[in-house]
Amino acid sequence: MTERPHDETAPDTRHAPNGEHADHGAVPHDPDDHEAAARAAALHAAAHDPALPSPPPHPAHEHAPGTTVSAVAADAPEILRLTALEVHFPVRGGITDSLRRRPKGVVRAVDGIDLSIRKGEILALVGESGSGKTTTGRVVVKLTKQTGGTVIFDGEDVSTLWGTGRLRPYRRRVQLIFQDPYETLNPKHTIGDFVEEPLLVAGRGLSKAERRKRVIDALEAAGLRPAADYAARYPHELSGGQRQRVVIAGALVMDPELVVADEPVSMLDVSIRTELLRLMLDLRRERGLTYLFITHDLAIAWVLADRIAVMYLGKIMEIGPAERVIRAPRNPYTQALVSVSPSPDPPSEGEDAQRTILVGETPDAAHIPTGCRFHPRCPLAFDRCKVEEPPLFDVGEGQQAACWLAKEG
Amino acid sequence: MSAGVRGRRQWPLPRLADPTAPLLEVEDLSVRFRMREGSVKAVDGVSFRLDDGEALGIAGESGCGKTTTALSLVRLLPPNGRIRSGSVKLFGIDLVPKTEKQLGRYRWREIAIVFQGAMNALNPVQRIGDQIGEPIEVRLGQPREAARKRAGELLDLVGIPKQRASAYPHELSGGMRQRAMIAMALACDPAIVIGDEPTTALDVMVQAQILQLLERLRRELGLSLMLITHDLSVIAETCDKVLVMYAGKVAEEGPVNRVFTAPRHPYTKKLLSAFPNIHADRRTLDVIPGSLPDLRNPPPGCRFAPRCPAAMAVCREVVPPEVRFADGVRVACHLYPTPDATPNLDLALAGQVPALDGEVAR
Repeated sequence: MTERPHDETAPDTRHAPNGEHADHGAVPHDPDDHEAAARAAALHAAAHDPALPSPPPHPAHEHAPGTTVSAVAADAPEILRLTALEVHFPVRGGITDSLRRRPKGVVRAVDGIDLSIRKGEILALVGESGSGKTTTGRVVVKLTKQTGGTVIFDGEDVSTLWGTGRLRPYRRRVQLIFQDPYETLNPKHTIGDFVEEPLLVAGRGLSKAERRKRVIDALEAAGLRPAADYAARYPHELSGGQRQRVVIAGALVMDPELVVADEPVSMLDVSIRTELLRLMLDLRRERGLTYLFITHDLAIAWVLADRIAVMYLGKIMEIGPAERVIRAPRNPYTQALVSVSPSPDPPSEGEDAQRTILVGETPDAAHIPTGCRFHPRCPLAFDRCKVEEPPLFDVGEGQQAACWLAKEG
Repeated sequence: MSAGVRGRRQWPLPRLADPTAPLLEVEDLSVRFRMREGSVKAVDGVSFRLDDGEALGIAGESGCGKTTTALSLVRLLPPNGRIRSGSVKLFGIDLVPKTEKQLGRYRWREIAIVFQGAMNALNPVQRIGDQIGEPIEVRLGQPREAARKRAGELLDLVGIPKQRASAYPHELSGGMRQRAMIAMALACDPAIVIGDEPTTALDVMVQAQILQLLERLRRELGLSLMLITHDLSVIAETCDKVLVMYAGKVAEEGPVNRVFTAPRHPYTKKLLSAFPNIHADRRTLDVIPGSLPDLRNPPPGCRFAPRCPAAMAVCREVVPPEVRFADGVRVACHLYPTPDATPNLDLALAGQVPALDGEVAR
């Protein structure tokens, strides 16, 4: 255990990818893994017999949320609140910049957002690359320092909480799941080692037997059964979907209350993806987990989330119940995203006309346009949009849109 | 659709070309990879056809053999991969028996590939204009000036301002790089362009832009396209025909509007209903239990049988033959012993899969 790298900043940064959003391809396929995959598949099939309905031990409705729009009781306490959150990174100028006395730039990755999540809720933060969604998630798990605004977790202001020791209790309650199960797992550690590590780092003074029990419980909760068998294996013996389950188990072992999941299913095949989404929903039902689910994929947000927040260039453009944001978007950016969101239904005649393919690309966050930051690409922009930034306007049923057109009604 | 590239070609057809043959006809193609413990049948008896001006999508999960199928057309397989049998006929010329040197005439000049992740496929220290011009000089033996000029035209065609020809790949955005890759693929005016997950790493809006570009190029240049992707929506939006592969074999093939609206193979059906669709109901996503079989030792019958909720006894023993229906769809499934068979697929698969959450869709 001694050679294990002790990460000073956080237990969950182990072997994490360095880049924020490395663009990975489809799940790499190693034919060497076939046998392991097949064996695992057999085990897996035993655990998830297709003939049996998925394992919710409880009748579906018992824990199912009521008929409120957001699936979470309206009186559920707020677990997380971000207020005027800002993350500005200084741009390091090159030597030519300083010689020419060019002013230093600033990247406004997150540029003043307000957000709150209720206990037991799934909030999806959706945006394209460069929208600031990942940075927002990193602020919540305290991997990135905000430059402004506050983070309130369970009634307590954690904005100024820093340092490994002081953060320890917070990190038990808030866990991060990364995108890439291939890079997150250390190939030389067994699955059991990986899942146990947060317990060691958190230093809860648990005995070896207690730790072992919690590892097994976490693996089982993540659907890796028989857990003892999985604990002894190495990452290369597992398929992509199973690795992602291991990553989830690594988060569950701390028994967290809030899970920040950054593109947890983006690299997986469609069929495996659904299983993991189902697992995440089951865990919410069984453990009352709350999720901040970060994704570029509006369709996944639609399937999973109670509420969706759409980000563009560091701001929230629209937020509201999934049903409203997808079916009745009020911000032209959301409308465009929904219209191009891919669907496996072959297009019918004239359907192309309904698609709004925006021209150009998202400007970089060092050069945010004046007024509404979306106005240069907005098909509906008018004069006011160029000079004045719209706040989020309430448009009813818990939906808010940052657009002057939404204000008009 | 058959306006055809052949009529518009800038360069002569290969000498041995048969002008009446279909553009590309792949028959009974099998590819194996030699591994430490035995050989993997990555592609096993795959047949399909691509006509002039047509767009064919190859769909399936990772490891189902779709990329291997495409790469074996011009034999760009990794060193442990071999075509074991079958033929790949381009203009009626079989490419399988060709030597490496002979194949050089066809690679890029007749069949060009747009790879996923343009950053890795482009040379980081060469200006994109030069990279696009290179195959024109090398493959077509054109003088440098002509290559430059053509590169400029190609950039224009794919929507990159000509002045950007002097940019290095890192100076371009992901979408622009993918456009540059497409320009490079078009450099020699190929008969077929293969896109291997051409939009996978891109943002949804950029993906829409690239698909729009491919659509336009197809219309304007009469391109024949092969798109390899796990993303069914890309195929739905871009292709005429789709080939659904599972574990190295063809599960179902046919016109997109037939296969996607009325899938016949249980795998196609499950794959489609596992796809999150913003235009459908929430939380009705399907699950395909289990995972791909071990291809060193595939199941004796239908390869999908171990995961198929509708599997019968015969499925575990006998490889299902391919049956062609009157509407042009081809299916390899025991539920369809003859083209007149009309089993109720919904019923066959029914009751096996609960909704995603067990919750009632709101």
